[in-house]
Parts: sequence; C-alpha cells; structure tokens
Amino acid sequence: MTRHTAPRTVLLAAGELLAWWAGLAMLWLVLITTVDTLERIVGASCAAVGALLARAGRRAVTWR
Amino acid sequence: MNGWILAATVELAGGGAAALWGVTTGPTGRRVIAQNLATSALCPALLLLSQGYGRPSYVDLALLLALLGPVGTLVFARLLAAELERERPSAWALTWAAAGLGAVVVAAVCAATAPGRATVKLLVVGALLIGGNVIASRALSGGFQGVRGG
Amino acid sequence: MSDAVIVVALLLVAACATAAVAQRDPARQALVLSVLGLFLAVLFTVLQAPDVGLSQLAVGSALTPLLIMLSVRRTRRRGRTKEGPE
Repeated sequence: MTRHTAPRTVLLAAGELLAWWAGLAMLWLVLITTVDTLERIVGASCAAVGALLARAGRRAVTWR
Repeated sequence: MNGWILAATVELAGGGAAALWGVTTGPTGRRVIAQNLATSALCPALLLLSQGYGRPSYVDLALLLALLGPVGTLVFARLLAAELERERPSAWALTWAAAGLGAVVVAAVCAATAPGRATVKLLVVGALLIGGNVIASRALSGGFQGVRGG
Repeated sequence: MSDAVIVVALLLVAACATAAVAQRDPARQALVLSVLGLFLAVLFTVLQAPDVGLSQLAVGSALTPLLIMLSVRRTRRRGRTKEGPE
C-alpha cells in the first residue's frame, strides 16, 4: 500500500462515480410524477448512494 | 371500448394463449422460452391498457414487468442449468418478433402521448423490455458460458 | 363490450391455474406459476387495481419461482445423497 494513490486513479474513480450519479439522477427525474425541490434533493442523494453501490458492484463483477 | 383497449385485448388473448400453450407442453427448454416470451407479450399489453384507460401511472406496471420478467427467466436459466445445457433452447425468430412487437407498441404509445418526460419513461420501458429479453434468450441458449459460477 | 378484456384475462387466469395444478414436475410447475403471476397482474390491472397488480408482479414474477426452484434443488440434492428419497 502506498500512501498516495496515483492522481490518475482518483480521477478515473471520480469520473465513474459522476457518470453513475448523472445517469441515476436523470432516471429518477424521468420516473417521478411531479418535479419539485424536495424530489430533486431526495433524487440527488439517492443517486449518490446508488452511484457508490453501482461502482462497488461493477468492480465486484469485473475480476479481470 | 376504444382502439387501445381492443388492441390490448387482442394482444392479451393471442400472446397469453400462445405463452400458456408453450409453457404447459413440450420439453423443459421450450417451456422456459415460453415463460420468457410471456413477459414480452404481456408488457406491451400493459402499455396499451395504460393508454386505453388514460392513466399514465399504469405504465409503472409495465416498467416493473420489463425489469423483473428477465430476472425471473435468469433465475430459471441458472437453476435449470443442467437441463438447459443438454437442450440449448433458442427461438431467435420468435424473440426478435416479440422485440419488434414491443418496439411497435412503444412507438405507437409514444406517438399518442405528448412529448416530454412521459415519452422518455416509455422509451426506458421499451429499452428495458427488448434488452432484457434478448439477454435472457441469450442466457437460455448458453450464450454466457464464461460467467457460470458458483 | 368493454368487459371483453376482463373476460379474456379471467379465462387466461383460470386456464393457467388449472394447468399449474395439472403439472407433475415441480420445476415445470414453477414455470407455469410464474406465467400465472403475470396473468394475475394483468387481471388486477383490468379490474382497476394497479397497486395490487404491482405487488403481484413483484412477488410472482421473480420471487416465487426463485423460492420454489431453490427448495426443489435442495430436496433433489438431499434425495441423491441419501440414495433415494424417503
């Protein structure tokens, strides 16, 4: 274990999380009935949790 | 009774009867394929019913079916793996015909609704339906040999 | 005339339930049962009860087949190791 992770790895991870978050938040906004501030906040937080889970799942199934 | 409900009735009667006949007769491989195609026959019927009743919230049923139907088929593909290994069942003509039917229905309902978020939701349902069915068919015919583990 | 779709759904459910009872092999019974779940969800929808249909879909399309197939596999494996079912 090195103390400092390579900045490229951090950048890639952040990019992947951001992509998952954007996709999930868009999905949430499409599937709800009425769009208001509360829904936006709840959707953004759920999409953040979902992005973390999605990245963990993606890393778990790609073992190569 | 409007045209949408009439179309849903025809689709339900035809697709449902075909799925029922396929799932109750023949070897196991054919039954699993019929169970898979029942999803893609009934999901467009649910979309047509939602349009016919004028209730956009009924689309949620079709969304859930498009999401969970292939999951159920994958359960069978995993747990009946020994029998399916011998038979390698596949019915690609039927699969693509069912996918085309789903695409036609989704396009028709999209054309009838006002463009907006509802259209995107319908397109998501259509993509889930067709993608899920193709993936489930491929899993049944032994297309994912590499990921069979456990 | 608008009841035609309800009649069709009812007939499908009745035929599918009878077929599920008439099957001998539990695995094939699970297959028919999952299709029966779909028909029941459509029946609930045409009877204007989409919430019941949603829960029927959630339980009947993936969960019930999974439970039945897991128990079938468990009993078959136990029967094989004990040299014949008891």
